[in-house]
Amino acid sequence: MSTTKTLAEPVIRPEFVNENITDAHTGDVAVQLSFIEKIWNINGVRKAVILLGLVGLWQGYTVGFDVEPLMFPSFVFSLKTLINDLFQGDLIWKVWFSIKVLIYGYGAGMAIAAVLVLWGTSSRLGGDFIAMATAMFNPLPSIAMLPLAMLWFGLGTSSLVFVLVHAVLWAVALNTHSGFKNVSTTLRMIGENYGLKGVPFVVKILVPAALPSIMTGMKVGWAFAWRTLIGAELVFGASSGSGGLGWYIFESSQNIETEGVFAGLFMVILIGITIENLLFRNIELRTVARWGMQR
Amino acid sequence: MSTLPQTVVRPEFEADDLATASHADVARKLTLWERIVDLDGVRKLTILVALMLAWEIYTRVSGVSEFILPKFSDTAAALYDSLVNDQLLIMIKNSISVLLTGYAIGLVIATLLTTVAIMTRFGSDILSTLTAMLNPLPAIALLPLALLWFGLGSSSVVFTLLHSVIWPVALNAHTGFMGVSETQRMVGRNYGLRGVMYVAKLLIPAAFPSILMGLKIGWAYAWRTLIAAELVFGGAIADTSGEQSGGLGWFVFANQMDMQIPYVFAGLFTVILVGVIVESLIFSTIEAKTIRRWGMQSS
Repeated sequence: MSTTKTLAEPVIRPEFVNENITDAHTGDVAVQLSFIEKIWNINGVRKAVILLGLVGLWQGYTVGFDVEPLMFPSFVFSLKTLINDLFQGDLIWKVWFSIKVLIYGYGAGMAIAAVLVLWGTSSRLGGDFIAMATAMFNPLPSIAMLPLAMLWFGLGTSSLVFVLVHAVLWAVALNTHSGFKNVSTTLRMIGENYGLKGVPFVVKILVPAALPSIMTGMKVGWAFAWRTLIGAELVFGASSGSGGLGWYIFESSQNIETEGVFAGLFMVILIGITIENLLFRNIELRTVARWGMQR
Repeated sequence: MSTLPQTVVRPEFEADDLATASHADVARKLTLWERIVDLDGVRKLTILVALMLAWEIYTRVSGVSEFILPKFSDTAAALYDSLVNDQLLIMIKNSISVLLTGYAIGLVIATLLTTVAIMTRFGSDILSTLTAMLNPLPAIALLPLALLWFGLGSSSVVFTLLHSVIWPVALNAHTGFMGVSETQRMVGRNYGLRGVMYVAKLLIPAAFPSILMGLKIGWAYAWRTLIAAELVFGGAIADTSGEQSGGLGWFVFANQMDMQIPYVFAGLFTVILVGVIVESLIFSTIEAKTIRRWGMQSS
């Protein structure tokens, strides 16, 4: 049973002295960066340079190669059209119209999602219903509901709002519900210990604890709603009288005013960046980042 | 010096009115009914069946016009009919082949962009500037431009799909790679991994949750963009390339125009089915075989 293992003999290497080593020499330990290097190290500067470079490329290509403005207008021309239409045309009203519809749809969607999730957290049947409904409707692109919405609500803002509600509701309900479910039992017990029940329990314990997940849902819902709105307006925006930003793009492309298309795209990007980076980022900074739930 | 509050000593007492302890059910055998209700699948199936029944009964009792809300049985018949006789299968195939083309090319471009971005700081700045600008831009808004540049046809749709796939995928992959911990990187270097092997064996597995998230978002945007593009311009796109073209979105739109409402619902069901299959079969399987198995994601 007891087999004696023979250990490997340790190899002992002979000692030696390395003769051909040069004198030790201290290199630069800390170098003062040159002025250009210091400027280049600023994040904003590099990004501004990239942005300017892209704009320069665009302008250089369109002017230098004499590209037909119908196919690809130059940057300056598009920007001029944007400013012109914003201040002298009715683009600003179209933007306002889009945002108004978006706020209605987003608000209604959030409200319905809140009611659904409340039902889902208070009963098992509700939870099952949310799981079923989100699994079914979340993969359904809300724009596909537009033909039905127009049938039910006619041409107009109400069909747009219906489609937006569909875009927001499932993303928010799904994320909020799973966020609530993942709130740790410790936190729940703390809440119960404080005597919180019903709505105060949800508002004071569940919502703050699940806020990162709720924020994700709101951001996904916003992204879907924004995409759906522009898509819907591209087709049916005109029917509701004034029309929105998507309709402005479509109209410009129909009239082969490509510079108008680019002006509309600039506006879409601007609004998108404003909402994503200013609004949501600020909410995050004030809540989940401040509470140390997210870095 | 602050004086400490006096300690309150409550008098001892004995509660006399306690009833004798009685053993309640500690572990009880569940009845058959309770056990059936406890099955997740049974409850969900019941809800589904109940919804369908409610739909059917509502349409029959209220006598709502079939142009507003067709009966569930009519819708199911329309779905069966269009799957068997009509060209729904061909349309599904058309939609999916366009989607796959756009998705695949988008992935290749996103990979190239991410590669440049992780190799140099300047590349990373380019990627973050581009994604910050172009990610909030709905891909469908580019469709009018694409139609102008590439004409009516599937190449325009592929162009918009590219736009909807590249940015979320590149953005998430980049953040994933950036977030790989220094310890893991050093482990990789310790093993002597370099270049492609370092990326394939270390960075990709370590950043896989984030990469998969990007793939899923890219798929969701692409699917929505495709349906929207087909709804909006499907007719124009379909007309140019022969009779048996047009995709699922076009099926919905054309049937709505013809007031074939049961077929509209059938089209929507198909859209849901394809979505559910891709999301819960393909992506869930990938998730189960990779990140969940590796213990990077719970449940």
